Amino acid sequence: MFTTGSKLLIGSAFAAAVFAVVYGVTQEGSLGTIGLISAAVGLALLATINVLVRDSNVSAMDPEGFEASAAARNSARASLWPLLTALGATTVTLGLITNRTFFILGMAAITAGGLGWLVQAWSERASADRRFNQRARNTLIDPIELPIAGAIGAGILIYSFSRIMLGLPSKTATIVAFGVMGAIVLFVGAIVGLKRGASRTAMTGTYGLAAVALIAGGAYAGLNGERETHPHHTPGDIAEENECGPEETEADDLASQSVASKANIAAELTFDGSSLTYDLPGYDGQSAGLTVPRSTPTNIMFHNDGDDDARLVIEMHPRVDDDGNPTGPELICTALGEPGSTQFLTLLFAMPSSAVEGGYAFTVPGTDASLPVVVP
Amino acid sequence: MKDPMFERSLRVPKLRRFAAPVAGVGAMLALSSCAEDAPQDTWQPAGENAQLIQDLQWWVFLIAGIVGVLVFAAVLYCVIRFKDRGQPIPEQSHGNALIEYTFIAIPAALLAVIGGFTINGIFELNRTDDTQCEINVTGQQWWWEYDYPVAADGSICGYMPSAAAAPIVTSGQMVIPTNTRVLIRGTSRDVIHSFWVPRLNGKRDMVPGRVHTWRFHAFEPGIYAGQCAEFCGLSHANMRMEIVALDPPDFQTWLDNQLAPYTSPEEGTLAAAGEEAFIANCSRCHQIDGLTTPEGDPVISAPDQWVYAGAAPNLTNLMTRNTFAGASWDLLTEDCREAVWEASPEDFGAAYLKGVTPECLNQIDLREWLRDPPGKKPMYADPDKLEETEGKFRGMPDLGLSEDQIDQLVAYLLERK
Repeated sequence: MFTTGSKLLIGSAFAAAVFAVVYGVTQEGSLGTIGLISAAVGLALLATINVLVRDSNVSAMDPEGFEASAAARNSARASLWPLLTALGATTVTLGLITNRTFFILGMAAITAGGLGWLVQAWSERASADRRFNQRARNTLIDPIELPIAGAIGAGILIYSFSRIMLGLPSKTATIVAFGVMGAIVLFVGAIVGLKRGASRTAMTGTYGLAAVALIAGGAYAGLNGERETHPHHTPGDIAEENECGPEETEADDLASQSVASKANIAAELTFDGSSLTYDLPGYDGQSAGLTVPRSTPTNIMFHNDGDDDARLVIEMHPRVDDDGNPTGPELICTALGEPGSTQFLTLLFAMPSSAVEGGYAFTVPGTDASLPVVVP
Repeated sequence: MKDPMFERSLRVPKLRRFAAPVAGVGAMLALSSCAEDAPQDTWQPAGENAQLIQDLQWWVFLIAGIVGVLVFAAVLYCVIRFKDRGQPIPEQSHGNALIEYTFIAIPAALLAVIGGFTINGIFELNRTDDTQCEINVTGQQWWWEYDYPVAADGSICGYMPSAAAAPIVTSGQMVIPTNTRVLIRGTSRDVIHSFWVPRLNGKRDMVPGRVHTWRFHAFEPGIYAGQCAEFCGLSHANMRMEIVALDPPDFQTWLDNQLAPYTSPEEGTLAAAGEEAFIANCSRCHQIDGLTTPEGDPVISAPDQWVYAGAAPNLTNLMTRNTFAGASWDLLTEDCREAVWEASPEDFGAAYLKGVTPECLNQIDLREWLRDPPGKKPMYADPDKLEETEGKFRGMPDLGLSEDQIDQLVAYLLERK
């Protein structure tokens, strides 16, 4: 006679074997087939063991004794685990046809529900003493259940809070909302602290209401979406769009007018309003020409000592691919620097000057200033 | 009852047991300092900067030596004089202020004097205001590149070339004029390297993205050997460098020769076939200035597309230098090399400027290199192991050249001077 558990295992092993064949033929995926075959073999092994030991099932061996036992006399208690498992199964189904996230959440719910259900079922039959059973259940499951539940709860609250903050229409509103919420928390905390005799019900109710309000606000804000944020352009974007001209762009308006790193630069270029000069740091002698090794990242500092805004530009002459498209930026430039400001550039020349018509040169748009740079 | 084993273990070994081994090791150490063929000897300064270091380290070693001898003598005296012979423990003294202050004051004074001279030396070595020549030095796995910038007045390294000036790019050997304060501005293209030519100056690290300055000066013409002094990967030991110092007239000759226009091999010769083989196989990475395709287009190398460091040695005037492959092997045969290295200062310039002649070419090493570079010098040039570098080589790969191609290339390269 096969026990219920044996039948389940035999059926599962058979199903896994069938799925392995179907998967292997239709998907041509070796990994999935190997996994399913492994599952079939494992389940078959368990089924064999189960049959041999008759599932260690007292009822199978001695139905009368089993039914008369103290543990069997206790009726099962109400449980939410089946509900969670069913919810998980539904979500998994939903996830299969809509979004992978739902599938993952559903699987998590099924795992959690199944585990909780399993432990509860086991504990209720552990002995005839309900309190002992409850303690056994708590001892086993609390170290898992409480941290996970706490993390999920905290995660929901934090996520809801972040949705509210991101849903507010402006940065100012965010600051105000944050201040108001902080004040409320402080106020409630002060009340609780002063009124020591607050009942558990009142405390639970207060925190429950706050949590529900937060989650509801988060859901509402999340459904409405985040407020629009406007991405800022950078000097890199300017160069990419070949807009390294004398005009001020949005990126220039927001650009820093000073440079934090002033060490290890290959050359300092200075614009005096009409011409470019250079200095080689760490070298106080008679300076030779501005020569930059090929294929070497080279840092250049640019000082605007003129009376007007200015930016430093260099045409990089990148290689072109087989389709004629450049393989790197064609122009590199600093942000528009105010008078007295400092900007920074990092260059990497792929080709020698001899391969570039006219050679390389730094320029300042809107002026005739030009400074050749030699790449040997 | 006394344990004979324990008693034996307490017995002091006879000194004469150690006399022979100690004397042997001491003699070896003493004799090793007599090596004549030591081109990287820090105790043989050959320029201002190395002399400055030598002047400092000589005094430091002298003082340290005297202190060391005194301390060891005192220890030895105490060990022998107060050896345990069963005598009672002598009276102990503590807290002698005079002795303690003296033993603090003497080392402090010595260290202060040494420190003062050392700091002064460091600042002196880092001066850049009186340098007369500037050379850019770039390190990469596993060779050094030198480029000579052209000044605004058309001069290079303070010398006016007879032809139109253009930047000179070379590798392996850095040529400088004697009695000239040369400033190098160094960096690296891949990992940290360290430029060290002991007879001319101390070492200076070369870090990617940074520019480091360092001075060189040579009193007399000659070749001064060096070695990368910062572990930089598989072939670190094969990353050598040489500084060649030439008298000013010889340096002028070298300079003019480097800027001489490219000359194609005579048609129909082995070298002409070598030029074609070079364009087909080598020019992807190696630049030869002035080389053109049969259609007349300049041949521009693109090492950044093939090599992780983005550079390969410029071979325009390969045979004017005496080494190849990161100065690891000589282009000259042993006899010819000896003739250059051991030439007197007066004759050195002429010997070096002869370059590599057909009869002096070290065909064995050059051919082995062309046949299988990674077999000759350990490099990451296995295409199967290039995922980390996005398919780019570290070092020179095996190009699978045939023996005929190698013959042609050798003939062609022999004319690059």
